Amino acid sequence: MRQKWKRLSAAAAVLLFLAVMSVMAGCSAAGGSEGDSEKVRLMVWSPSEDQSRGSGEWLQKCCAAFAEQHPEWDITFVYGIADEATAANSIAQDPEAGADVFMYANDNITTLTDSQAIAKFGGKYEKQIRENASEALLNSVTLDGFLYGVPFTTNTWFMYYDKSVFSEEDIKSLETMLQKGVVSFPFTNGWYLPSFYFGNGCTMFGDGTREEEGVDFGGDNAVEVTNYLIDLIHNPHFVVDADGSGMAGLRDGSINAIFSGSWDYESVKHILGDNLGAAALPEYTLDGTPRQMYAYSGSKAIGVNAHSEYMVPAVELAIYLGSAEAQRLHYELRSVIPCSTELQEDPVITSDPVFLAQNETFDRTSKLQPFVSRMANCWAPIENMGKSIRNGTVTHKNAAEQTKAMNKAMNSNGIQ
Amino acid sequence: MNSAKTKRTRNNVIVHIILAVLAVIWLFPIFWVILTSFRAEKGSYVSTFFPKSYTLANYKKLFTDTTILNFPRMFTNTLIIAVFSCILSTFFVLSVAYCLSRLRFKFRKPYMNMAMILGLFPGFMSMVAVYFILKAVGLTEGSLIPLALILCYSGGAALSFQIAKGFFDTIPISIDEAAMIDGCTHWQVFTKITLPLSRPIIIYTILTSFIAPWVDFIFAKVICRANADQYTVAIGLWKMLEKEYIDNWYTCFAAGAVLISIPIAILFLRMQKYYVDGLSGGVKG
Repeated sequence: MRQKWKRLSAAAAVLLFLAVMSVMAGCSAAGGSEGDSEKVRLMVWSPSEDQSRGSGEWLQKCCAAFAEQHPEWDITFVYGIADEATAANSIAQDPEAGADVFMYANDNITTLTDSQAIAKFGGKYEKQIRENASEALLNSVTLDGFLYGVPFTTNTWFMYYDKSVFSEEDIKSLETMLQKGVVSFPFTNGWYLPSFYFGNGCTMFGDGTREEEGVDFGGDNAVEVTNYLIDLIHNPHFVVDADGSGMAGLRDGSINAIFSGSWDYESVKHILGDNLGAAALPEYTLDGTPRQMYAYSGSKAIGVNAHSEYMVPAVELAIYLGSAEAQRLHYELRSVIPCSTELQEDPVITSDPVFLAQNETFDRTSKLQPFVSRMANCWAPIENMGKSIRNGTVTHKNAAEQTKAMNKAMNSNGIQ
Repeated sequence: MNSAKTKRTRNNVIVHIILAVLAVIWLFPIFWVILTSFRAEKGSYVSTFFPKSYTLANYKKLFTDTTILNFPRMFTNTLIIAVFSCILSTFFVLSVAYCLSRLRFKFRKPYMNMAMILGLFPGFMSMVAVYFILKAVGLTEGSLIPLALILCYSGGAALSFQIAKGFFDTIPISIDEAAMIDGCTHWQVFTKITLPLSRPIIIYTILTSFIAPWVDFIFAKVICRANADQYTVAIGLWKMLEKEYIDNWYTCFAAGAVLISIPIAILFLRMQKYYVDGLSGGVKG
């Protein structure tokens, strides 16, 4: 029995070896040609656009350039597909078989740390990363004082508008916009709706990192916002954006401004052409005083697997993929908005409206999206609030009571 | 006499109206998906039920725009996996059902009880364990993934023998005995007597064991992970609805949904006529 098992595992090992070899044969990149270079095998995961021929093979180009810079390693790259939103789950499922270098959205950071799958950056590497990114950006990938990734783009939402309808002055106030045109907002989406509450002083987990402080969405200031939202939904120039209706409205001209992110840029550009405007979030007027809307902000970063066999090359590659040079190529090939401090002065990039809108939103009109684990209980209550206001079950009469109930649910442990 | 006839006509009319309404409700989403797949306007949301203009471009894009989401490859992957798991699991199910129906052995009752209890748990409960077992034998990387998926889908088939066994039980055992007297082995009885008499249940088994891997998402997602070249259509279609792709790919998603229904429809149409056959080839005397 035992022998049979041995034979079986030997056969499996051979099979595995063959499989690995065939993968290697498929996508090996040029390594150093010297005979004494160390053999290194790095598995890299990225979204499929980064690897597709149609959008310029950013990852392959960067990896080849990296290999050229490091003749001391004979690197074999193995590429896999995992976009930033789902990579963390795939890595956490089995860290040992996960990629050495991968890209993740910063709100998944606790998934990665909980499964002990992500390496901390320290020493000279940490210094290198810090030199290339702003403080706010670094905070988005820092947990308990440790740095967990190389940020390569900001991740937030902002406003697209039709320049033929709104002037640069109009877009500073939501109320002015609602007088001049039709505005659509993802009212029933938990990622967007809190922006109004943040504007009136509501907070989540202190500055977003202090779990023990809880959520403050139930005070009188929150009730004022709920009342404002009830009025807003009855405004004939305000349309709820759900299931892509905002984009459809933009397409047929019935809507003049939507709130979305860089992922919709190509579509919006196609629809609005030269009239495309992108800007940070406007202010809304509550009882006569202007209040700023705040988006959730985060970042996308490059992480290194804590189980990587080739730690130094993996860390070096991660830093290279997040460097100004790689970010510039990323922008040129795929319009991924760069965040490197070095590129903030580049004339070509800084004239891009999306770059300006996204970075201004990140710097001025956003709050760091909390990634404490209790945050998981906050999405459904706020989404339900949006839906209830739309359905008319939350009215001026019960607004106070409903807002307090929402706050209670957000502060609960999720099971009632 | 006359009043009985009118009554029957009236009842028929009512029944048919109810059926027609139900049929419309039933077919409505399917009709909508087909319309969407021919829709020329982009985007995931439209304000009209009927598209303003029609096009075949969505189907074309599905097969030509393969740099990001390679639908033809996903389709082939899924087809290969589904065909092989269908063959394997049909064989497993029928064999197990025959054994439990015709043979008497000690473990028979305990096995049936065990299968019943195990069958109460959803299969994906074990998916993480299954993943690690497959990883231990080296089946989770590269081109061996289809094999891993085939094993996943057909490995547990022997637990769902109940329906086939119930059917085999209805075939008179005296036929088997007659064949045995003539010198048949159990295998010959199974292939030459039982199977030809059980066409409907074979068809049923083939259909269900083809559809299960064809539409499965969970196991494919857990096992494929970052190996995009091994994705199945279920993962591909799900990807098309992610926020980065939905505006561009939504109508293609509908086209893909129409396309994946074709193999199932063909299989069903070809097999359907055997459904009615039943025991018509039965025994005389």
